[in-house]
Amino acid sequence: MTIAGCQCWPAERGIGLPGAKRSRPDPVAFPGPILYNCSVEHADWSDVAASLRGDDDAYGRLVQRYERPITGLLWRFTRDPVQCEELVQQVFVEAYFSLKTYRGEAPLLHWLRKIATRTGYRFWREKAKEPQERSLPEFDALEEIAAAEEDRLDPAEAAAVLHALLSRLSPDDRLVLTLMYFEECGTKEIAERMGWSRAKVKTQALRARRKMKEIAEREHLLERLGWTL
Amino acid sequence: MDALEGLAKLARRAREESTPVFGVSEAVRLRILSERPQATTLIPLGLFGGLSALAASITMALAVQFWNYMTSPVMELVAPLPEIRLW
Repeated sequence: MTIAGCQCWPAERGIGLPGAKRSRPDPVAFPGPILYNCSVEHADWSDVAASLRGDDDAYGRLVQRYERPITGLLWRFTRDPVQCEELVQQVFVEAYFSLKTYRGEAPLLHWLRKIATRTGYRFWREKAKEPQERSLPEFDALEEIAAAEEDRLDPAEAAAVLHALLSRLSPDDRLVLTLMYFEECGTKEIAERMGWSRAKVKTQALRARRKMKEIAEREHLLERLGWTL
Repeated sequence: MDALEGLAKLARRAREESTPVFGVSEAVRLRILSERPQATTLIPLGLFGGLSALAASITMALAVQFWNYMTSPVMELVAPLPEIRLW
């Protein structure tokens, strides 16, 4: 989707020159194909600039373009379609009102993922305040899964079981493992998304994995899945 | 197989899950419209201010006039009594 002939911010404007001060061009003042960073796709940038000028259709195009990956990410935070849709809407509304702060240093999707991850994390923290029974109906249903082999296990069921297991952890532990297991994020990416230090993420991951192992062993996960060899 | 290996295997399978698509662009547009701060015009505020100033001016003018005509009741105590012709 990157436009052929994507133009970087001209060198004479001081960007890209060694030691030159990098400054963000004002999207309102410089609309169009002017990009100071090639990692930002042309279509996104022009839609962002148009949105900042008040073009609602342009923002609608951005929402349509990125709705699927953002929904995919938030589906890891809640498997309730109503709650998930609400979270997706929240992310795009928040992104709209924060659009001025988007500096274009990374693709728009990365920026949206950061907002979505924080939205999901806030959702978990609010849910954690409510007293709730941590039952694992999805987990019990595994008894009925005759197909114990990995390739025969339904992905939706596998995701439901993993989600139910992760829900037993605290929001911080759960976030780190959710991003690691479902999104294949490294500690660096998790730290960037959450604004945490990498050391904190590593410590959190270590602790969360230990807890998760205990839970899996207590629930006899491998036996139920028939993966004991 | 270790429990963590089992979890990783489960996660591998879980990542293949297809996620729902809601089509939120219209709902997002409506929410943005409702949450966008309305452009406030200064006309009603100015009109209200002008009317208030006018009312205050009238009240002030009346008050000054009233003050000028008002005589203090204490003055009657210190004012010389008019001679009363008895015959």
